[in-house]
Amino acid sequence: MSEQDNQLSGPGLTRRGFFRKSAVAATGAAAIAAAVSPLRKMSPDDIPTLERFLQKHYKEMTPAEMQTALDRIAREVEHRFAVRPSLGDVKPMVGVEFVYALNISRCIGCRRCVHACVKENNLSRAPEIQYIRVLKMEKGSIDLETSDHHYDPPVVPEHDSYYMPVQCHQCAKPPCVKVCPVEATWQEPDGITVIDYDWCIGCRYCEAACPYWARRFNFAQPELAAKDLNPDMSYLSNRPRPKGVMEKCTFCLHRTRVGKLPACVEVCPTGSRKFGNVLDAASEVSYILRHKRVFVLKEEVGTLPRFFYYFDERGSRYHESVESDRATESGGGGE
Amino acid sequence: MSRTGSTSTLPSDPPRRWQAWFVPFVLIALTGLLLADPWPHVSPVGPAAVVPASATDMTPVRRPILKPETVVAGMTYRCSECHNLFPSPVETDRPLTQHRAIVLEHGINARCFNCHNRENRDAFADDRGGPIPFDQPPLLCAKCHGPVYRDWAHGVHGRTNGYWNPKLGPMERRKCVECHDPHNPAFKPMRPAPGPNTLRMGDRRSEAEGRSETKNPLLIYRQRLPGGDGDEAKPQRHRR
Repeated sequence: MSEQDNQLSGPGLTRRGFFRKSAVAATGAAAIAAAVSPLRKMSPDDIPTLERFLQKHYKEMTPAEMQTALDRIAREVEHRFAVRPSLGDVKPMVGVEFVYALNISRCIGCRRCVHACVKENNLSRAPEIQYIRVLKMEKGSIDLETSDHHYDPPVVPEHDSYYMPVQCHQCAKPPCVKVCPVEATWQEPDGITVIDYDWCIGCRYCEAACPYWARRFNFAQPELAAKDLNPDMSYLSNRPRPKGVMEKCTFCLHRTRVGKLPACVEVCPTGSRKFGNVLDAASEVSYILRHKRVFVLKEEVGTLPRFFYYFDERGSRYHESVESDRATESGGGGE
Repeated sequence: MSRTGSTSTLPSDPPRRWQAWFVPFVLIALTGLLLADPWPHVSPVGPAAVVPASATDMTPVRRPILKPETVVAGMTYRCSECHNLFPSPVETDRPLTQHRAIVLEHGINARCFNCHNRENRDAFADDRGGPIPFDQPPLLCAKCHGPVYRDWAHGVHGRTNGYWNPKLGPMERRKCVECHDPHNPAFKPMRPAPGPNTLRMGDRRSEAEGRSETKNPLLIYRQRLPGGDGDEAKPQRHRR
């Protein structure tokens, strides 16, 4: 039967074979069309330019190449937000190692730091990305598993709680840097762990490695309104991130490397947040490390954080009303 | 291919081909269906949260008047200009006719002249009755709050704004009265800014919709415990 077909329609192609091959080809074509159909929704901005594709690693770029990259990023930002940013690559200062200290007996959990950080660092508003997480803790316990970051009472502080903001601890032995397969993240000489957003492949190993849950992933294109854009930008910190890369707190290095305080310190209404150069014996943080009761979070994991929590000698909180203190005292005396 | 081989396999061939022919058409139909996007992707991303401007306001919570003056009918008067006309009692613990708006809630420090200078009404009083200028309230507060004053002087208590390095720019240590009302010094509670609504930290709205547990990686272990969610599964050691 197949021999007869062969004789009629020439060698190698039977009628049945023709239909079969056409069907296979049509299925294959349709499957490819279905597979690439999401491309219909892709905007031209999603395609990396050749310039970006060929850009070198941050540490391998010459100053001229860095300038080219900065020009490209500034162009992209201007195209997207219609705002010309003042974009730079601020280098670490010599003889400076940044350290952060946070007074947990003063923090009232108002979350001002969270939103000042979002504004300063051009974080995505939808989906929301926040570097700082304020944990509401039970008084008398430091068990993170009983903490809550969704608290929403009419006013803070609540009577039976204290608050522990957590952000990147800028560890001296950062596990996130160790796990990065492409060396897209590293520790700078001033102690800040940074990410080259153009080198990151988005594998999220660092997010898994961080014991403080300080790294954030851009699952979607970060969205923020042009009016909310902070035009004071730096390559390693707050320039708009692309989709699919990690980001994290950089102690606002575009501010701190020119001597300014980070946004979270500037906004804190209680003055719980302290920042400075630990190598300077006259700095606030040096005084805290020498004179205050200081602890680090998850000391046992051996990451040597540069973020210290401290508390005041009295142990209680001054912002509570005098009445509640009296009530406690009289209750204690009555027992 | 040998003739004997083809003839021997021929009887079993047609049913197999009959089974196979519709597969491409099913796939093509499925492809067409998927291209039509019958179940469009719904993003889990909610709208951007509304953040009040106060949440990013960097000014101190109070704007104290470091040079108190009273303006009456366009004329500006210093404190002493009234108090010289109307002498005060030797000691008083509450305003009798004037300054009724001032509510003194400063613990056991309930007398005006503990802080205000009775002799020089345009100044505060130091320990020996001498004047402390109105624009230097930390010196007054230091009379009682020694440890806090020490911390403040080292920049450890209270706000610092501006530059962390005074050599590069102005470093401003906020004064006591920029956060504390001297007549009612407890730091005032405030409305917290909106909480996280992120993909991983969970959705604020889930609580409003009555779902028992917001997405919180730290609380996952509670859901696994036999008690179900929430307080019942909370470890006993954290109970008081």
